[in-house]
Amino acid sequence: MDKLRADVRHAMIGGDRIRAKEKRAELRDVERRWDEALARLGDDPQQAADAGARAPSPSAAPSRPAARSAVLLPVREQVHQALTLLGAPAAPRMIAAVHEAFYAGRLVSSRLTSLRRDEERSFRAAPYARPYYLCAALTADLLSPARGLLAVSTWPMDRRIIGPLSPRVDYLTAAIAVAEQLERITDPDPNARRLLWRFAANIPRAASSMRSMTPDVVANAARAELAVHMDADSAHRTAAASRARSQLDDAAQLFGSGLALSRQADSSA
Amino acid sequence: MRNAVNDLEARLDRIRGAAAPRNHNARTIAALTSNPGCARRAIMDAAGVDKQLLASRMGFPTKFGQSQFAIGRGNAFETQVKAGGCAELLRLLREHLELSIPEVSYDNLDEVGGNTCREVRHARTRALLARATRSDQDAGTLFDHPLLRLQVGGRPVYLEPDLIAFRLRNRFFVVEVKSFSVIDGQADGEKVAAAAIQSAVYVMALRDLLAELGLSPDSVADTVVLVCPENFSNQPTAALLDVRKQLTVLRRQLARLERIDTLAELLPPALTFDLRLDEHGIPHRPVGELTSDVRTVPARYAPQCLASCEMCFFCRDEARGMTAALGREVRDELGAVELVQVVLRLADGSLAGAEDQAEAAAILRAAARLRSECLGGAA
Amino acid sequence: MSTLTALARALAAERGIAQPICTVRHVHVSDRPLVLIPLALAGEANAPLAVMVGADRQSPRLIVVHQPRNRDQRFAFAARLAGIVLAHVDSYRTAAVVTPEVGGQPAERDRDAPQIIVPNPAGIGFIRLLGRSTRFRRSTGEHAVDPVVPVLGRWLTFFAERSEYPGSCLLLAATEALALHWASGQSPVEDLNLAALLGWIDPPPEMTGYEGAIAAEDPVIWPPAGPATDPTFDNEILAPLIAACGRSGVSDAVRERSRSSLETALSAQLVPTWTLVWRAIELLRALPAAGRLAARWDADKGAFTSYAEFLRDGGPPQPRRDSAVAAARRLNWLERTQASYAAQRALDDPLVLADYRLTGEAFGGPVTAAEPDRLDTAGKRRKLRPLITLATEDPIRVEPGAVLVSPARPGQSARVVSVSARSPDLPGAAPGSGAWSPPNAVFGAEASRPPAEVVLELSGGMGRALTAAPGSVPVVGERLCYTTLTDSYQMHGLFPAREETPWTHGGPPPEYVPVDADAVEEWS
Repeated sequence: MDKLRADVRHAMIGGDRIRAKEKRAELRDVERRWDEALARLGDDPQQAADAGARAPSPSAAPSRPAARSAVLLPVREQVHQALTLLGAPAAPRMIAAVHEAFYAGRLVSSRLTSLRRDEERSFRAAPYARPYYLCAALTADLLSPARGLLAVSTWPMDRRIIGPLSPRVDYLTAAIAVAEQLERITDPDPNARRLLWRFAANIPRAASSMRSMTPDVVANAARAELAVHMDADSAHRTAAASRARSQLDDAAQLFGSGLALSRQADSSA
Repeated sequence: MRNAVNDLEARLDRIRGAAAPRNHNARTIAALTSNPGCARRAIMDAAGVDKQLLASRMGFPTKFGQSQFAIGRGNAFETQVKAGGCAELLRLLREHLELSIPEVSYDNLDEVGGNTCREVRHARTRALLARATRSDQDAGTLFDHPLLRLQVGGRPVYLEPDLIAFRLRNRFFVVEVKSFSVIDGQADGEKVAAAAIQSAVYVMALRDLLAELGLSPDSVADTVVLVCPENFSNQPTAALLDVRKQLTVLRRQLARLERIDTLAELLPPALTFDLRLDEHGIPHRPVGELTSDVRTVPARYAPQCLASCEMCFFCRDEARGMTAALGREVRDELGAVELVQVVLRLADGSLAGAEDQAEAAAILRAAARLRSECLGGAA
Repeated sequence: MSTLTALARALAAERGIAQPICTVRHVHVSDRPLVLIPLALAGEANAPLAVMVGADRQSPRLIVVHQPRNRDQRFAFAARLAGIVLAHVDSYRTAAVVTPEVGGQPAERDRDAPQIIVPNPAGIGFIRLLGRSTRFRRSTGEHAVDPVVPVLGRWLTFFAERSEYPGSCLLLAATEALALHWASGQSPVEDLNLAALLGWIDPPPEMTGYEGAIAAEDPVIWPPAGPATDPTFDNEILAPLIAACGRSGVSDAVRERSRSSLETALSAQLVPTWTLVWRAIELLRALPAAGRLAARWDADKGAFTSYAEFLRDGGPPQPRRDSAVAAARRLNWLERTQASYAAQRALDDPLVLADYRLTGEAFGGPVTAAEPDRLDTAGKRRKLRPLITLATEDPIRVEPGAVLVSPARPGQSARVVSVSARSPDLPGAAPGSGAWSPPNAVFGAEASRPPAEVVLELSGGMGRALTAAPGSVPVVGERLCYTTLTDSYQMHGLFPAREETPWTHGGPPPEYVPVDADAVEEWS
């Protein structure tokens, strides 16, 4: 195995990616067989059976002890929960952070990367079969899907439009939503306060330190800045929304234009 | 005019061979200008030759890869800085560039409706930046992943700064996001210097673009915003870097960089660095022939090449016996005599040396005498 | 870089093996150095990956962080490292020795001090950063760490700061120590690679220095000395192993296997460097110690004792930035120490002094005449003032009246009476080196000179009588060097006390009070 490892590294050093790939594949194969052999040798069959039910080891991040399998929702439900709270399109990391702050169960942001594509496939296969879909937000100028953002299909079109000022507006909207949620609950998770602080640090006059931060002051500061951008942003969104409704079919209004065709072309290649 | 350009392109294509050209970026341009006297590198970079594969074929592989941990960290940090409509970045720009509250507009030039073609992105970048200078309402503030173009040695190179910020009715600022840390207000000097010169390349490219639109170079600031993690966390902090000196150096070196067409014309027409890759990407060009073609184009090896060019081991081997291989300081202390052999013969007196070497020869002889006095026979 | 060391490099390149540039050892090597080889994860400010540490070549200890981005694991690593480093440091806090201080006040000092040796200057940087990232932590409160962690941080910072002082040997980088004594046949930047440098100094059998250095550059065979790891190692081996260690929902046995695979891989990256550092120590120990080395090590011991007492008395961690007075004081101290250190090495080592003979700050040659009994009757009392005449081929730059010293008789000073040109035909001229007759080196606009003759008046170092003690006056034929360099103690720079910092420098700095922010500083 050591020789294979050395071979892979030498190949990479020489820029010979093809050979590196070959050797790497060989190496993985040998490693797998080695692991399996060790497993047969060392493991108690009973241990192997227990593996699934074993509690996560200390090096994994501790989840809240109360949240066990009973309350676990499918990923799309968790995302829907978080987005509904936020009330604006958001990136996977934000969605995961909001979920961790306010809801039970873990949501790992890496599982969201293929979500939009899966939802689009599901929609095209059976349009409107589900009560909601997790969809894209569209750029105001070209009505193409904005990178890295998720939205809810039941939102009105202009809430799913991203004009030049919308990223900031949506950020402030999210801040207000988080602040208001924090005020509502009596015993918030420390993650929730930390989440709000991350917003507050980037909003003028929202808070001077995490200790002294209060949700209502943060919300007011966010509203104050929001007032500055609101009109211009709404104008962009309204115009773009009406163009989208008149120019795009249902699927494109949810998932953006231009991409479906090229994706089909790719998949046939 | 058009024909000359076509000829040059064709010539460079022949030099490169069948493989697709590798692209320049700000880092390679900056490195290029730190050794403008190296014709070998100038030709190879202009032709887009894969220097790593070439060096490896000739028996001198180098390890210019990047650790995925570093790449991952860099990407994660940039993502964080730009998340939420560039929330963290806006905070820093409001502080350092005094952007006003309404200036939050964000445009992403990474792709144009799914189209990632360079010409399309560049055209859109031009259009948006032009609009910024003309307009009040729709000026725009943050331009993410813009695509610029710069003429290097007579050929256009596409460059992608991290972000460009526009202060309303004022000027553009290049923003560079780097993942090396600033600890207690101090960062690794070499890394900051590298960031400064790379940013200067972007400033030049941006100025060129705006010049095409009839605007003065002052419309691009000669200070650059450098964004880095603070202390041991992922929290970003920013600093303004004055790159006027780097701009002067760059301008001078880019001008000195012999125009590639003159260089190319001097080469034998049959000369090529083609590796004759088969369908699996395995080179089949005979090594002796390849090496001889490479040697035809003179290089200028210095130890700095080890940190910046994939041909370094080959050129170092070629430079054995030259004092330049020992570094400029050593070479200077040896009276700038080029060959190690000559140095030693001047030192032991077996060579009298040329007239302009008299002073150096005398010092070397004195040095040899002193060494011999201190070390006896072992000198 | 001087012409002599440059020439030595040229010789090394030609001969295929490194050439000595010193005749004695100018760095202290402890009998029990603590060798520390760190590895850090790429891309982070200071994310320790593993460390191999120990004072015994046969028993290295390996500490590994299985999840380098996990904050708790980082501090657990720091705690384990603290266990080893602090035990080593404490072992030197034993019987104290009373030393007479300059200025008359006797002081207590530990008999010996610990020494840490890392492979290269980047290793010192790692120690500095690790010290910075740990010395402000608290053992109570929300982000509590093991109490030994901040103590480790303070000690590491102490060592790192001390390593900046010229001549200090508490924390050494092996490449720097080696490069001080040998010139390789490669460039100085390539000397930063420990394996390559040792390839030149100590080539493997049947290989030239050049071949040895080339072989050392293959990272698959000779892993980099760190703290940076090789990118192909990171991508092909490290990343999958770290991912395996982070997998959740696996059995304990599988997790153990993943951890042990990671440890094996990291150990394989560290063991070759471990061997190399001990080889470097061996090579350095083989050189005879320079005369003034012991005195410099005494100063190091004093600094160690002072700091240990400062910590014992509850001193706070080193602040992030120097106050204005501290910064100025530090700069002044560095300048003085640099000059003194350079002079000491020259006085201890004829090959180092030879550098100064090329620039005119020193000269040497045989004594051609001597008047050992000459007396100076001018003043109230008669004084013994011998005269000697020294012939030299070195370029002279001293004027009559200058006061010089000879390394052979450090307690004696020599005043230049006259300097004159000398005919090269006189008997006793410098031994020829071949059939040709060398002209003197030409410097600047000076005309070429034949060998010179210097007349020196000596005083001191001869005893109290009016006849010199035997051997204390040079005799004809003796070869000597004289130089303007001295390592005499210079006055402290006069600086206001901390509390009197002038307003132009921001006024008196506030007393350092550890703040919450220091303790809770986020880690990514």
